[in-house]
Amino acid sequence: MDKERIARELIGIVGSDGVATDPGELRVYETDGLTIFKAMPDIVVLPRSAEQVAGVVKVCHRERIPFVARGAGTGLSGGALPVDGGILIGLNRMNRVLDIDYENQRAVVEPGLVNVWLTNALAPRGYYYSPDPASQTACSIGGNVAENSGGPRTPKYGVTTNHVLGLEVVLPDGDIVNFGGRTLDPLGYDLTGIFVGSEGTFGIATKVIVRIMRTPEAVKTLMGVFETIEDASNTVSEIVGQGIVPAAIEMMDNNSIQAVEKGVAAGYPLDAVAVLLVEVDGPKEEVEALVGPIIEVCKANHVREVRVAKDENERLLLWKGRKAAFAAMGQISPEYYVQDSVIPRTKLPPVMKLIGELSQKYGLRVANVFHAGDGNLHPLILYNSANEGELRKAEEMGAEIVKACVEMGGSLTGEHGIGLEKRDFMPLMFNDDDLEAMRKIKKVFDPDGLLNPGKIFPAAMRGGEVGPAGQREALDKVLRRA
Amino acid sequence: MSDLVGADHIVAGPGAARYVVDSKLARAVVFPGSVEEVSTTMAFASAEGLKVVPRGSGTKMALGGIPDRVDLVVVLSRLNGVVDYEPADMTATFRAGSLLKEAQAVLGRNGQFIGLDPPYADLATLGGILATNSSGPRRLRYGASRDLVIAIRVVHADGKVTKGGAKVVKNVTGYDMNKLYIGSLGTLGIIVEATFRLHPMPAVERTCLASLDSVDAARDVVARILDSPLVPFAVELLNPEASRRVAEQAGLPWPKARCGLAVAIGSIRPEAVDAQLETVRRLCREAGAAEGHVLDGQVHDAFWRATRDFALGDGLQVVLKASVLLTKVADAVRVGEEVAAKQGLRLGVVSEAGSGIIRYHLTGEAASDERFRQGVAEAVNRLRAFAQEAEGNVVVLDAPPEVKSRVDVWGLAEKALPFMRRPKAEFDPQRILNPGRFVGGI
Repeated sequence: MDKERIARELIGIVGSDGVATDPGELRVYETDGLTIFKAMPDIVVLPRSAEQVAGVVKVCHRERIPFVARGAGTGLSGGALPVDGGILIGLNRMNRVLDIDYENQRAVVEPGLVNVWLTNALAPRGYYYSPDPASQTACSIGGNVAENSGGPRTPKYGVTTNHVLGLEVVLPDGDIVNFGGRTLDPLGYDLTGIFVGSEGTFGIATKVIVRIMRTPEAVKTLMGVFETIEDASNTVSEIVGQGIVPAAIEMMDNNSIQAVEKGVAAGYPLDAVAVLLVEVDGPKEEVEALVGPIIEVCKANHVREVRVAKDENERLLLWKGRKAAFAAMGQISPEYYVQDSVIPRTKLPPVMKLIGELSQKYGLRVANVFHAGDGNLHPLILYNSANEGELRKAEEMGAEIVKACVEMGGSLTGEHGIGLEKRDFMPLMFNDDDLEAMRKIKKVFDPDGLLNPGKIFPAAMRGGEVGPAGQREALDKVLRRA
Repeated sequence: MSDLVGADHIVAGPGAARYVVDSKLARAVVFPGSVEEVSTTMAFASAEGLKVVPRGSGTKMALGGIPDRVDLVVVLSRLNGVVDYEPADMTATFRAGSLLKEAQAVLGRNGQFIGLDPPYADLATLGGILATNSSGPRRLRYGASRDLVIAIRVVHADGKVTKGGAKVVKNVTGYDMNKLYIGSLGTLGIIVEATFRLHPMPAVERTCLASLDSVDAARDVVARILDSPLVPFAVELLNPEASRRVAEQAGLPWPKARCGLAVAIGSIRPEAVDAQLETVRRLCREAGAAEGHVLDGQVHDAFWRATRDFALGDGLQVVLKASVLLTKVADAVRVGEEVAAKQGLRLGVVSEAGSGIIRYHLTGEAASDERFRQGVAEAVNRLRAFAQEAEGNVVVLDAPPEVKSRVDVWGLAEKALPFMRRPKAEFDPQRILNPGRFVGGI
């Protein structure tokens, strides 16, 4: 592209403080939360309104310049990785809460709004926004829409798609359209529904209409300490089997506990094989009625110690440990590579056993932190890229875990997305016809293929190779061996 | 066609009359017995340019515009039963022709269920419920089809079979194709299988049923319930006509000309239910409502069945569904009463006050009567104008063709249409599936 001419035109749209071309400034945007991939855009643009986004997109469309939208850049699958030589549109300046309508249980926000800011704004009136990814103090709602983000509270309250009712979207040709709204059951195809989770490949959401909910009257968090993963897993199944729907059920293994305790001292016993956090919420009487049966289930499954957080401070500390788990890995390893596969909950014990075996085989430690309530694993493979070949080994081990999870009836990713990272894994789950149906809907939104190219679809459907090939090599190796 | 599905599974001529779609008779009615047979049927239809109307039990065949043409009706009733079900994972996959009632019976043995309770829930098939996005009172707690379906299998217009989603409760692998097919009235593909996330059946369910002078009196109490920490699974507001009929069917005495407000609570523990119901009763008392009955056991179930399957009894009727902001529900009921009175129509209104979904049931003279048709058209226009002000919409759910021919049954705004046509153009460019029945004549 004619960088100077394009930059001048973009400055005309967003002002000189909203366009960056200096390599030093661009470096901030060369990667997202998955730092093993890097790419340099030619220009970064920071619009302040839907009209500015549309203006920028129109330039990209006219000039046939590939472009990528980015929220806070916390994504873990390379979804916001820019295109080398393309344009990156950063949305963090569009971070306002536009409207809160308590009576209708809706809020309208801009995409760059940090997830937890919305709940902070709602809290004084006793309301909150439910999806709470671990990165909620940094990640943006627009990014959550792109990735259909989850978080610990999904067993009871669902993921982002269950809470987004409408969108204002700038399409890849620069048109501004509205999908859905503040009421349920909008007419026609559920375009809001298909847009959520499209990983920034359909359009740029410039307004998001979300459901807000009444803060539960009571919350109780229990910590169970277990001697085996199996006991902890059985506890999860039996709690649910009793008809209890906890807001969250999280599990951490010993490596995670070690890291977390060094990092934030959440009070998890250092010698525990597994710690289970179970949270129930709702009306006071309901919550009180549930605590007893949960403790009984823990005891029936040989819990070593079960503790109910006695006050809000203790409850928050227990959660702080869980939410800081990824960050705390630095305490025990220079780097980690995390997978995000989902398995049917009943497959937890065999999959955990397999991960243990793979850890031995590859000589890499694994810390497991996961959403046990919905079978969403997060094995953190610990490695040090200073050691020759260790990153490749971590990728290969990750590929083995993913493949095993899919074979057990699971899914490649529960909340982190396919992005660049797992695009070549897609054929493990979907055949050519399945993928062709997905390509058709991509074409509905982006017939020219300019927006976030090279993501989601496997090599055969991308035409031309874009970006790094490490994941595919790892998968190829695993598949060849199988 | 006989070669494809077997001669026993095709009906043509007079036998096809009961499968008529808006008085259009199909050239043949086909009953495929497997996904493969649905696929070969569609491949054949595509190659021959035959227009196809998919059908389950037929409880919602009146929904949608009058089809451009009907060559084949593809009935999915033979495609039924469980594909897989693991109680401990709380997920289950069914073939699309399964009755919801049968699915619930299978799941109920393990104390689980699909959180859907749409109208005619005893007759409706899962495929039909998903294709029409049909929902009922429990939606407040459990969500709608879009929230409960985690994987789907679809036969496309050209016969290709594809899947979307995964059989796990949390998944973001690829695009969320489930959303595309749910509510698309079979215009993008025929749903042949669906996997649901399940919920545990609450051990105890009870309902507080209060009577009120008017819908306006309900406005405040509904707002207070929704703004409280209570977690009802349904909050239903019924106009006097609907209250009287539902009470009668459930065997409850009911005072004349009173609106009904039903608030339902479920839990695994009775004490948790009763504590919440006590709060509901207090809020109702404070709003000037008569002391509410607490419904339990069989009466409770009978009340909710009658509400869910509400109908005005014999004769032709028209059913409209409105979706409005929660703060506009009471007004929407009142506007319905006003327009019905003006047009001389009898009106039963059942509204999900916590979701903003309202069902208007209208009857009057016979459908051949010009005045009835005129009155219904007026009512649709008036209610649609109101609903659009309330950021929502009005859809004609059920009406005879003579009524449908004079109103837009969907009412999608002109400016939303061009983009709405794009998925259809990609997925069914020949317009084989349900042509003319969806929004904007898609």
